[in-house]
Amino acid sequence: MTKRENATQSQKLMVFVLTMSLYGLATLFTELIPSIQVGIVEFSVEYFLFIPLVLAMLFDPMSAALGAATGELVFSEIMLGQFGGLGELEKFITVTIGVYIAGRMVRDPRNRKMVGIAAISGVIIQQVLGMIVDILKVQFAVQDFEAVPGLPQSVFATEGFACLNDVVFSGILFCMLPTLFLVPRLYGKIEPLIGMRPRTKETALGAVNAKVVLGSLVAFAVAVCAEMLAESGMSLIDWEADWAGSGTALAAGMIVAAVVAVIVLAVMKKRAESSKATQGV
Amino acid sequence: MQSIKKKLSENILDKLSMDFLRNQVLKNAYGNDDTFIAKRDPRILLVWYVFFALAPWFVDDLPFLLGCFVLVAVTTVMAKVAPLVLVLFCLGVFSQTGYLFVVSLIFGGNAQTVVPLLVLTLKVASVSLASITVFSGLDPDRLSNGLMWFGCPEKLSFSISYAYRMLPMLMEEFQNVLLSYRLRGNAPEHDTLAGKVRYLIYQIQVIIHSFYPLMLNTAKRSRTTVEALEIKGYRYAAVNKEVKKMKLATLKVTYDDLLFLAVSFLWMAVVIFAGTLV
Repeated sequence: MTKRENATQSQKLMVFVLTMSLYGLATLFTELIPSIQVGIVEFSVEYFLFIPLVLAMLFDPMSAALGAATGELVFSEIMLGQFGGLGELEKFITVTIGVYIAGRMVRDPRNRKMVGIAAISGVIIQQVLGMIVDILKVQFAVQDFEAVPGLPQSVFATEGFACLNDVVFSGILFCMLPTLFLVPRLYGKIEPLIGMRPRTKETALGAVNAKVVLGSLVAFAVAVCAEMLAESGMSLIDWEADWAGSGTALAAGMIVAAVVAVIVLAVMKKRAESSKATQGV
Repeated sequence: MQSIKKKLSENILDKLSMDFLRNQVLKNAYGNDDTFIAKRDPRILLVWYVFFALAPWFVDDLPFLLGCFVLVAVTTVMAKVAPLVLVLFCLGVFSQTGYLFVVSLIFGGNAQTVVPLLVLTLKVASVSLASITVFSGLDPDRLSNGLMWFGCPEKLSFSISYAYRMLPMLMEEFQNVLLSYRLRGNAPEHDTLAGKVRYLIYQIQVIIHSFYPLMLNTAKRSRTTVEALEIKGYRYAAVNKEVKKMKLATLKVTYDDLLFLAVSFLWMAVVIFAGTLV
């Protein structure tokens, strides 16, 4: 019975579906409920990260982490039409890393101290990674970032403060305490519903090792690279414009091409319709 | 004053009722499948979206950004997006950049700081409106088919279809659990400030407590779902090329789709032309 916790493929899919629907539902609400700002301290129920944290500690961490990230993406971003393109990749990766590492840290869910530490570390990892990406994003989006008076400091200050606020306020109130409350209660009860044995010290996947950290770093590098693309893309377009010479002539050519395309398509559509009509008669 | 305050809080609470949220979300997802945008081929719309999601980040030319914004604003109107989504969009865009501006003033910024921030706002607004058009205007099934055609992981398109079907049920269940906790619980008085704080804490506690039965129920349900999928051979079908082909056979590019692309292209060309003249 000292076999490692290796869930079957279908159990992994179950955990994925479970985390996705629950965390998706929770993020959908938080997206809809406006946050209350008292001064510069933001009181929001923004953070329901305790749901994937609890499930990652009880079940396979990777499925739970991916399920949480997908749930957030699908329910609150795509369903509400708030999909932000590149920015979502960053969120996806940071949530996955945070939840996965927290899930790996807990070897025995009955050990309350470890559960608390893991929960708060998951939050800190996710928030700090998110903050780094956010700062980089503003730096790339605004040209001559350093030249604008007051902007760099303000970005560092707002992002840093938001991160601290989230960790201290939402992290403890909405992540650590609920996780501490739910994990011992669900332990031993929820696993049989999925057809699994509860996680114990012997069947745990093993502590966080170098491989996990390395994998997380690579994933984070991908997230940063997605943002970096913006800058290199900018110089690419400039270079092309120089090479094209006269921009006005090029634009005029594009207009002509577009007009021709619209006319041709309209005529083709008319023809197709009329031929359909004659065939129908 | 007191009555206005009361009315306002009642009004906000009204807006936040679970039924209202559910209706808005469902309306957004299923309510408008007869618009021009919803009828477009998902593949064409995704290609269109990729351009408008990426181009604004790379370009700093003001006429170009304005042109993008106008075009995506028109398509958003055409897609008949639910008002709640638009309100959220406005809140998101303006609170983000407005907050940044105020803080930069504290750190010795001036009116000059406004210009790059306005450019940033314009970029963010164009990109989000484009995404609202595509992801909110399009039917979820068509959207997931389109994503699948471009080779997105099967898990993602499965999640989208699953989410849209399960969401109403999940919301109802959550509401039921929440209501049963409220019925059995004894909410503290909330006339004084201390009472209000206690009331808020009580509410949050109820929400967290209600996730306990909800987690157990959903675990049971997801097992049923996955087992039903297994019976139908889902995991093999998901990677089978022939099944995918059959599933995607309904997608068809029409002349209207190409016209949509061509008109968008024409508009952007005109904008670039105008930009070079200025």
